[in-house]
Amino acid sequence: MMVRQWVTGNSVAVTGSCLGLLSLPFGWLTLKASRLTAGTSLRLWDAFSWGVAAAIIVLWLLCLALSLAERDKRHAITIGITANAILILTFIFAGPAANRLTATGAEFARVSLSAGVWVTVAAVYMLVFAARQSLPDYRVWQNLISWTGLAAVVILLFTGWLNNISVVQEFLGRESRFQQELVKHIFLFGGSVIAGTIIGIPLGIWAARNRRAERPIFYFANITQTIPSLALFGLLIAPLSALSFAFPVLREFGIRGVGAAPALIALIIYSLLPIVRNTFVGLRQLDPAVIDAGLGMGMSRPQVFRRLEVPLAAPLVLEGVRTASVQAVGLTAVAALIGAGGLGWFVFQGLGQAAPDLIILGAIPIIVLALFVDAVMRTIVRVSTPKGLATGTS
Amino acid sequence: MIKLEQVTKKYGATVAVNGLSLEVNEGEVCVLIGPSGCGKTTTLRMINRLIEPTSGRILVNGKDTSQVKPEQLRRSIGYAIQSVGLFPHLTVATNIATVPELLHWDKTRIARRVEELLTLVGLSPAEYAGKYPSQLSGGEAQRIGVARALAADPPILLMDEPFGAVDPLTRERLQAQFVAIQQELKKTVILVTHDLDEAIRLADRIAIMAAGKLVQYDTPETTLSRPASKFVHDFVGSDRALKRLSRISVESFIKSAPTVTINASIKQAEAAIGSRRSAWVVDDKGQLLGWIDRTDLSQVSSISEGMVTLESKDIALWQNATLREALSRMLGQGFKSIPVVDEDTKLIGEVTLGDVEAATAEAEE
Repeated sequence: MMVRQWVTGNSVAVTGSCLGLLSLPFGWLTLKASRLTAGTSLRLWDAFSWGVAAAIIVLWLLCLALSLAERDKRHAITIGITANAILILTFIFAGPAANRLTATGAEFARVSLSAGVWVTVAAVYMLVFAARQSLPDYRVWQNLISWTGLAAVVILLFTGWLNNISVVQEFLGRESRFQQELVKHIFLFGGSVIAGTIIGIPLGIWAARNRRAERPIFYFANITQTIPSLALFGLLIAPLSALSFAFPVLREFGIRGVGAAPALIALIIYSLLPIVRNTFVGLRQLDPAVIDAGLGMGMSRPQVFRRLEVPLAAPLVLEGVRTASVQAVGLTAVAALIGAGGLGWFVFQGLGQAAPDLIILGAIPIIVLALFVDAVMRTIVRVSTPKGLATGTS
Repeated sequence: MIKLEQVTKKYGATVAVNGLSLEVNEGEVCVLIGPSGCGKTTTLRMINRLIEPTSGRILVNGKDTSQVKPEQLRRSIGYAIQSVGLFPHLTVATNIATVPELLHWDKTRIARRVEELLTLVGLSPAEYAGKYPSQLSGGEAQRIGVARALAADPPILLMDEPFGAVDPLTRERLQAQFVAIQQELKKTVILVTHDLDEAIRLADRIAIMAAGKLVQYDTPETTLSRPASKFVHDFVGSDRALKRLSRISVESFIKSAPTVTINASIKQAEAAIGSRRSAWVVDDKGQLLGWIDRTDLSQVSSISEGMVTLESKDIALWQNATLREALSRMLGQGFKSIPVVDEDTKLIGEVTLGDVEAATAEAEE
């Protein structure tokens, strides 16, 4: 009977709630004498207060109970709201806690977020995900649950509430650099996806139309996808530097062995496969009767393409662009290794200096950017799906 | 109207259509039939140039089709296929408007035409115009497909198993509707099917094909009574007499039937039945309710007490049903007469077993 209950409850939410409870014994904040020294770890109740600790425990238990019992929309919404509340609570109390600890500590004392907080964040977003899945027909609630917590943390960041947290201090020390790398990151992934789309869609159409082109195109796209990103970045250094030495004029356009040029090329190649594949499938999966009827009623080939193939394949093609975009946001991080810049720069700087806060300063914005791009592309896919094709029209 | 002269289509070494000559007169329904792979669909698709013949000529209205731009040719020829091929991203109305839009009709004319066509195929414009294909049943989709083919009022209609993908009951209804529409519109129709009953029911002339060649081209009656070869003989089968019945509409065999209204007195009922065994019972609007036996009349005080209720949709025939359906109802129900109703299930008469026998004998000669 108990097992049945577990199955009928929301298993993702149950796992998330358990993970949330597991975060409690970890250290939540770490107090370090300076940026690079090892520090002392503070438990939830030491870092905040017993009252806050109790509140968080109660909220997690509430989530667990609701996840086990989840039956309707109201349960899912409550789980989502509670998860956001835990996240907001954690960060609201983390700010003053950091202020207090740095004030009492040494001159260069740093307070960083530790495992407990990160596990909490992971657990919160598992619950958010689970709640979203349970509310497929309530888009407003879905968006509220997904974005409220994140928006609150961003507001806290901007108001300076978290300024004594070490990650924020790393940021404050490099604010202009951060903006610069963020812009570079967006430029690199955005540019490569746009170029990948411009190249990939015609390739996909060609593959769908021509059986002889199909094999080599997919051979190329598949093979490149299996090359580790670092290797591909590295592979491009030699030919590009040779090229720029042979034709020095190219260097004026920024084409060198290292930097943005090889990064862009590699990123474009990676974005090809999802776009080419989805364009190909989008065209091939069309009901041949639809094309036959279009031609049979007197549409010209271009009319069939414009009036039938484009609107019917568009959702799948854009879905491919979405996959490529999200993938490119992550891969662009690696591009920092060959001097292309981007948010990955902080990650690799942090790795080099053994400064975890610097790694986080790079990693978190990359994750947020990926989620944001994903949400935007999903909206574009939804809007571009013709009404007759959307599920649930009948 | 349509003339094929020595048309051949080869795919490499295989010959799909082999020196086919065929002439279809204006306003006629020509049904192409034959075993699968006999080249009937290829023939159909060569007429609107979806397939180009290897050799031979195809004339439409005396004009060689190879001299006309394919798109232009196709816009003047209606085209309906088995899988319908409705455009899933467009509404029913936009689907029907396809060819008028290609011909740049103005909006109000298109809207009027769409409404006209939906009414013609028996679907309410208000209800269906805004629907998407995914919201239609198989039968509705087929009807929209036919409406779409008729949209620009083309004189010629090519249909490739247009009633193939629906259940038998729906198919019968669609066929009856097709006959009614064709009587009104008098299009020149070439229809491909593998269903002999459908061919017999719909065709003015049946073109039987085998291995890319035309083996007989005759009226259904002649095809059934004088098969040109052993192949045709075997193809039409041994139940030719029965098949012939699907050519004959019950309409001309409807006799007035003894009828009593449900609230008539027993006396009136006895007068209506006379010496016959039973009478049909209708309500005051004339809709069929059931039947009553003469022998029961003396034992009951009212008609409703002695009446045997029947579900008219199970037993009664439509007025444009065929004698074959009438016979199968009689055998199925064990009745010697079957009531015939109009669209509003109002009783209009009956068909008797004797009439079916007479018709069979007449056709047999």
